[in-house]
Order: sequence, then C-alpha cells, then structure tokens
Amino acid sequence: MIKILLHTVLRGLSRQKVYSLINILGLATGVTCTLLILIWIEFETSYDTFHQDVKQIYSVYENQKYADGDIFSVYSTPSPLAETLKKDIPEIENATRIVSSWGQLTVNVGGRNFIEKGGKIVDADFFKIFSFEKIYGDTTNCFLNPNSIVLSQKIANKYFGDINPVGKTVVINSKYKFEVSAVLENARENSSITYDFLLPFNFFQEFWDYDLKDWEANTFHTFVKLRKNANRNDVRKKISKIISKHVLNSNVELDMQAFGDYHLYSINKGSAGPIWYVRLFFIVAIVILLIACFNYMNLATARSERRSKEVAIRKVVGAQRRGLVGLFLGESLFFTIIALGISIVLVELLLPEFGDMINRHLELNPGNYKFFFATIIVVLLTGIVSGSYPAAYLSSFAPIQIIRGFSRHDSALVRKILVVIQFTMSVALFISTGIIYQQLAFLKRSDIGYNKDNIVYVELGGNFNNNYEQLKNEWIKIPGVNWVTAANQMPVNFANSTWDVNWSGKLKEAGDILFQLSFVDFDFIETFEMNVIQGRTFSKQYGADTLQFIINESAASKMNMENSIGEKLTIWGKKGHIIGVVKDFNFNSLKVGVDPLIIMRNPAAFKYVGIRIGKDRQPVIINKIRKSWNKILPEIPFTYRRLSDDFDYFYQAESRMSKLFLSFTLVAFIISCLGLFGLASFITERKAREVAMRKVFGANMDQVFHLLLKDFLKWMLFAIAAAWTMAYFVMEWWLNGFAYRIHIGIGIFLISAMLTFLIAFLTIYKLISSLSGIAPANMLKYE
Amino acid sequence: MIKTNNLVKVFRTDEVETTALNNVNLEINNGEFVAIMGPSGCGKSTLLNIIGLLDNPSQGELHFNGYQVEKYTERQRTNLRKENIGFVFQSFNLIDELTVFENVELPLLYLKVSSSERKKRVNEALERMNIAHRAKHFPQQLSGGQQQRVAIARAVISKPNLILADEPTGNLDSGNGEEVMNLLSQLNEEGTTIVMVTHSPSDADRSHRIIQLFDGHVVTENMRQKL
Repeated sequence: MIKILLHTVLRGLSRQKVYSLINILGLATGVTCTLLILIWIEFETSYDTFHQDVKQIYSVYENQKYADGDIFSVYSTPSPLAETLKKDIPEIENATRIVSSWGQLTVNVGGRNFIEKGGKIVDADFFKIFSFEKIYGDTTNCFLNPNSIVLSQKIANKYFGDINPVGKTVVINSKYKFEVSAVLENARENSSITYDFLLPFNFFQEFWDYDLKDWEANTFHTFVKLRKNANRNDVRKKISKIISKHVLNSNVELDMQAFGDYHLYSINKGSAGPIWYVRLFFIVAIVILLIACFNYMNLATARSERRSKEVAIRKVVGAQRRGLVGLFLGESLFFTIIALGISIVLVELLLPEFGDMINRHLELNPGNYKFFFATIIVVLLTGIVSGSYPAAYLSSFAPIQIIRGFSRHDSALVRKILVVIQFTMSVALFISTGIIYQQLAFLKRSDIGYNKDNIVYVELGGNFNNNYEQLKNEWIKIPGVNWVTAANQMPVNFANSTWDVNWSGKLKEAGDILFQLSFVDFDFIETFEMNVIQGRTFSKQYGADTLQFIINESAASKMNMENSIGEKLTIWGKKGHIIGVVKDFNFNSLKVGVDPLIIMRNPAAFKYVGIRIGKDRQPVIINKIRKSWNKILPEIPFTYRRLSDDFDYFYQAESRMSKLFLSFTLVAFIISCLGLFGLASFITERKAREVAMRKVFGANMDQVFHLLLKDFLKWMLFAIAAAWTMAYFVMEWWLNGFAYRIHIGIGIFLISAMLTFLIAFLTIYKLISSLSGIAPANMLKYE
Repeated sequence: MIKTNNLVKVFRTDEVETTALNNVNLEINNGEFVAIMGPSGCGKSTLLNIIGLLDNPSQGELHFNGYQVEKYTERQRTNLRKENIGFVFQSFNLIDELTVFENVELPLLYLKVSSSERKKRVNEALERMNIAHRAKHFPQQLSGGQQQRVAIARAVISKPNLILADEPTGNLDSGNGEEVMNLLSQLNEEGTTIVMVTHSPSDADRSHRIIQLFDGHVVTENMRQKL
C-alpha cells in the first residue's frame, strides 16, 4: 500500500509540477523558518546547562523594598554574604563571590603589555561549583595561594603561545605578580559566566582597597551550590532575612534564582527577561508554519476536482474512509519530508546569516537529540495539520455523486477563509514590524536631555588623576576638541545608587527613596550639553566644589522642593548644599523612566574621560588625541568608544527583533502569495465556464476582469481589517512596556493595505487576465 | 440474489423534488444476465447504483444475497461491495496516476490479498483481457476499448458474483463494443451474474432478460431465449 502511495504521489508530483513546486516551496519555507527559530531557542535554553551540578546551583539576589512599594531586585550582594551563607546554612555546600575586574588592567608578560578587561575575581569555591573544563594545571587548591592566576585558553595562547603555561609569571599593573596555576577552556558561547582570567579575592582587596567586611556595599554576585537533596524552598526561607541580621533597618530580603534560569528569566517582577523573545519567536515560528500548512490545505483541496474521481473509484472498489484519510495524510507527510530535505539545506545555508542577525553563533548539529526530536515533531505536525483538512474533505466525497457527475464540491469558502487568515497574519506581522521600526527610530532620535553625539570616551587606569590632568591639558589644545571632563560613569550606564540620602524637610513616612549617584568633574554638564534649569554647575571658581550637589528634576520633585538651590543635603553622612538643578536626562534606556539623580564632584571615583569633539574631520581629531595619549602613556594602548554606539546598544535586542520580524514578515508574505496564487488558479479553473457564458451574452474583457478581481479584493479587505485590529492591540500592549513611546499612526496601516492590494493584484493579475482572454467556444465545447 | 420491494428514490434540491424510482419491484437470480433499458432520465443508472450499494433508496427494501441491506452503514456497504460486486462504467473511470497493473490491483489491496497472490491474479486477468502487454502503461496511453478491458479486468479481479455495467459500450466504437460484450457474456457463462444498463438493443440482445424502465417505473420485463 505504501508503495502505491509513493507511486501515486511521485507521479502526481511530476505531472503537476507548478502545483507541487508551490506546495513544497511553501512547506520548505515554513519548516526552514521554524527550524531556524528552534535552533536559536535550543541555544538560548541551553545556557549554563553544561555545568554538571546546574540543578544545585543558585544565584543569590536582593529584593530591595522602597517607600513607594516598589521592589527593586539586583544580583549585587555584599562581600561577606557568600562565606556567611556557607557557614550558617547547612544545605549550602559551596559559595562564591564573582566580580568583574573594575576597569581595565595592564598585564605584563615577558616585557609585553596587554590591556585586559575580561578578568573575574572569584573565591576558591568557584571551581567546585562550576564545571569549566581544565586544560592544564590544577584548580583544586589554586586560590589558597594568593598569587595564583587561572587563564582561559584564549588568553594563555595570547600570552604564551601553544605551550603549557603553568608556573609562568604575569605582572598586573606593573606591581602584582601572579603565577599561572591552571588553564581553563574558554567560556562557552552558552555560558552566562565569561572570563579571560580568574584572580583570587585578596588581589581585589589590595588593588582596589575595598573593605571586604562591609555588609552595606553591594558589589558582588553570589552563587551557591546546594547539597544534593537539599530543599530549595527551605533554603530560600533561611536566607531571606540574613542581611537584616547584619545591617540595621535593612530593606533587603534575599532570594535565590536557579542558575538554569539565570540567562532567560529576569529577577524583577513584571519584567520577563529574554524568555519574552524566546516565547515571541516561538509564536512567530508557529504562525509561519501555520501559514505554510494553510497553503498546503488550500492547494490540496483546490485540486479536489481532479482528485474526486480517484476518491470515488477507490471507494467503489472497497476503500473505507479511514483508509483514504490515511492516504491523504501520508501524502502530506511525504510532501513535508521532501520539504524538510530542502529545509535542511536552506538552514545550513542561512544559519550563519541568521546567527549574525541575532548576534549568536549557531550551528546545525544533527546529533543533538533535542533538535532531532523537535524536527520530527515539526514534520509530523506540519504533515498532519496540512493534510488534515484535505484528508477530511476529500475522503468525504460520496462516489455516487462523482459518478453521477455532481462533482462540484464547494470547499471554496474554507479555502478563502484560509487565505484570509494567511494574509491577516502576514499583514499583522508587517504592521508590527513597521511600528517596531518607528518606535526604535523614535527612541534613537528623541530628546534624551543631553547630546550624545560627537562624544568619545576613554577608560583610564593606573593613577587616574595624575594622568587625567596631563591628558586634559594636552587634549583641550587640539583644534576640534571642545570639552574634556571625567566621571565615574558615562550617562549611558549609570549603575550607582544609594538610599542613604537626607535633606531638610524629609518626611519620616517618605521612607527610603533610591537615588542614582554620579561622580563627575568640572565641565561635565557642559561636555554633555545638559540643561541647567536652576543654579549653577561645578566650577573652579569655588575651589574643589566637592561638597556641593547638582540634582535632577526628578530628585527635586521626590524631595518635594520648589526651590532647591541652597538646600542642605546629606549623603552617606557627608553634608553639603544643592547648587543646581539639571533638566531630567535619560541615563538609562528609554524603556525605563528617569530616576532621581544626585551629581557630585568626587575625583577619587573617576574612571572615564569624556571628550566632546567637533562634527567635522573626526578621524583627524581622534588621531591627534591618540598621539597625545601615546606621548603621555606610551605603555598603554589607546582605545576609545563612541557614546552614541553605547546608546544604540540599549536597543540592540529591539533592533535585532525588528530585523527578525522584517525577515519573517517577508517570508509570511511570500508564502501567503503562493496561497493566493493557488486559490486564484483554482477559482480561475472553476470560473472558466461562467466567464465563457458571460462572454457569449455580451460581457467584454474588462467587465470580466473586474468581476473576478472584485471577488478577490473583497476577501483581501477582510484580511486587512482583521490584521489592523490584531496588530493595533498587540502593538499597543508592546509599546506600553516603554516609558517613552510613539502613538500608533494611521500611516503604517494605510501602507499595509496598499501593499497588500498591490501584492494580491500582481499575484492574480496574470491568471485573471488569461481567463478573461479565453475564447468562449473552447470552454463550452469542453463542457 | 437481488430483490427489491417497492423501491423509491427521490432527489431533492431546495425547490425541486424529482422521483427517479417509483415502487420498483424486481428480482434478479444468481447467474442471470439482465439488461435495463429505457429513455434518458428514466432511472436506469439510479437503479444500478442502488443495487450496487453506491446509493441508498429513499423508501422500500433491498435484499442482497438474502440480507436486507438498504439500512446498512457506509462501512457495511463498502465491505459487502468489495467482496461481491464489480463495476464497469461507460467512462471507464480508471485512475490516471496509476498504471494498468495498479488499477487492476486496487480492489485486491482493499481485500488485503498478499502481494504474490495479487501479482498472480492481476497477470491472469490482464492475460485474459488480452492487455497484458500494456500492464505498465497509464490509462491515457490506451485506446477506449483497451481502457474498458482494463476496467473489466478490475471488475472481475476480486471474483465477484455480481457485475454491474453502466453502458459499458457507450464510449466505444462497434468493434471494441463487440469485444467488451463478448467478455461480459463469457463471464456470465462462467457463472457471474450481470446487470447491465444500456441504450443499445444489440447489447441488450445478449441478456437473458430485459427490464424496461419509464419515468421510474418498471414497464415490462421480457424473458429472452438464452443464446
């Protein structure tokens, strides 16, 4: 029976080449998109699963509760937490702190200097919790020696070439000597924890002069490994109040997140994390697959006229309906399997491109059992869904009707509905893509309260202030350099906050309010072209000006001050006055609003130098900046960044999403057009006689053309109306996630309608015109 | 073998009701060759389809091999049909995508006959119909006469005891028609009951009995001398 099925299908394929091609291409496109998305989803969900004990590993985080009822969750925890947890909670077997090396380090290896930013400082338990593969050396006791360093393979190769470097020496910032005790594999693509090298904590204390006993400063990620069979919820309860045991009136409760969830799930309530994109694109995959399945249904049932005779004969000679359903399902599965073959080739070809688009290195790995099963499920589902309606419909033919000659079964309505759904989904995707692009453009060009363009900045290590003064003096002389300033952070990544702020008139019941803090130099406000709306900026006229504060509008309003100039402010016990109010500017993504901010001058905290340069001849200016740097700091390579690039980084996820959406919209449209073409050819076939009759009785070609076109356009209109409604509500919901958003305009909707009509018209034009040009005698004779 | 009691068939559309068969009573015995004749639209094909279990009567009884079958479900009718009845149509009704061999083999597949047995029987049937040399051809590659011989091979392959033929020579020239009628007569001589709808008096002459229909009624039944 299967042999016969194969024969029938293969012969059908070769006889109706266009039909088969449309069908297979439609399915192949749908399956390709789905497989690409599944490979990506598989990658995203595989994050950190390579650690042997991933199910026992948890990331400890803080829930900070604020006056307005907000809970702010952060991974940053105090230094003594890891050790305390390990000591106090019997279920916790290991605990480690992890922190990135602050800023860049200069590593000297055999007289050569390397600037490194990818160092991590970790506790000895790091190696017991995580399972990064060892290549050379031993990690068991390596951090008992405070002068141990563990390198990644990449860095080991960079420093020492292809040899075993264990025992070799490296010098950090010309002062700290370390001996290589082990080399680990490079952090994998799907690892949340990345490292170029690992250093022990005593270095941290010494180098940055950090008080590792301080319970009030949140700096470190804390990871724990529970003992086997430990109850996670028991541990959660036990750790919840630990901070308040060490910090008076603490507003912090601890909780833990399974390490397996670390990459995809956000710890902040109400924010979904990357899992949102995974889910969204899973839905997109299903939608595209459905569009492809509808295509198949459409084309398969359109062929019912031809197939009805076969069904009738099979029934007359003894086929049961069940057997026929099996036959048609088998057929659709067969088509899907051919499509899968094409898809695998397409996936292989498109994967690098797709990976670039989403900034991931993806590989097709047929040995991956998850992917293998997913593919089988996709094929089965596609085959069954595509074949379901044709099978139910075709197998329902009563042989007597066909033999009697009443073979005109009307499945036209169902087919029209299928095409309408296809177009609804495609148009909705189109509108959504348009709106996403508009929102991104809006975010990029909207007034963020300062001028992010034409700013370059450099990170300065070593003796900052000494070097900074020299550099500033040199740079400011360069024609085209307008302003030079320093700060602890650039206004794209403010991540320094405190609730330890007091002001006169602060209400007790106001509770704690979280203020962002920024430490800046003179000329900061001027360099970034921020607007001072009250008072003044920091100025050398007032000496160091270190105990004065500039606040932003939001801070003024939180403090309930109408005229804040001259008001007293105490931060961390240091008293000062407010000297200026700056107009709110966005120092984070526009997805979130502006937090209250306090700016003070604190040279001890400076880390970056920001330079405003002229619009013209920027490469020349930057080259001059580089030359001065090389003169003053010859041993450190010059690297700089543009602030506007960092700004774009905020919207990278959205930008990627919009590119993906655009691609999938194109795919959806292509498949839908195939479906429309199928429907049109079917209707053309059916209407041939009607057209012939109309012509006999006097209709001219134009009238026939309009008659046929009107029918199609009516259905397209339905699709557009449905898509408009759907897209509007979904995109309203999406936009509501942004603190700053566009209002959806009618433009994109009108464009979508015009485009749809145009595409539909072009798809069916040829068919309809061939029909309206038909000689009636041919049709009538045939009938 | 077949007995009908007051068989009525009414076709209804939204506005029109047409009575195709009106109180038809007839009996066909094993081994008989019966021709059904009458003007176009008199209900000949409708009667044949009901006897062939392709259609249900609106009223009345239908007995087949002693069973009362007019209320049978689709499944029951299919089972009864595939084991007992072979069909020959005016327009041959072969499946275009299947070869001659596969077309003839089809009923055996649904009877779950083993592969080797199928091959043997199909080859025998094709030999008998004198088209074995065309086994690998597709229906469109054959002449009308050859197609009808394939259709007859298909009808007899399951060794049915009843063959229903609806104007089997209607689309054939006289030479091919003659050949087809010879085959049917031969099958009847071997014991197969044959019921044939025809317009052709000469084809009807081959039968034992002619049933004349007019406007859904049986008008006359003429017994004929067996040739």
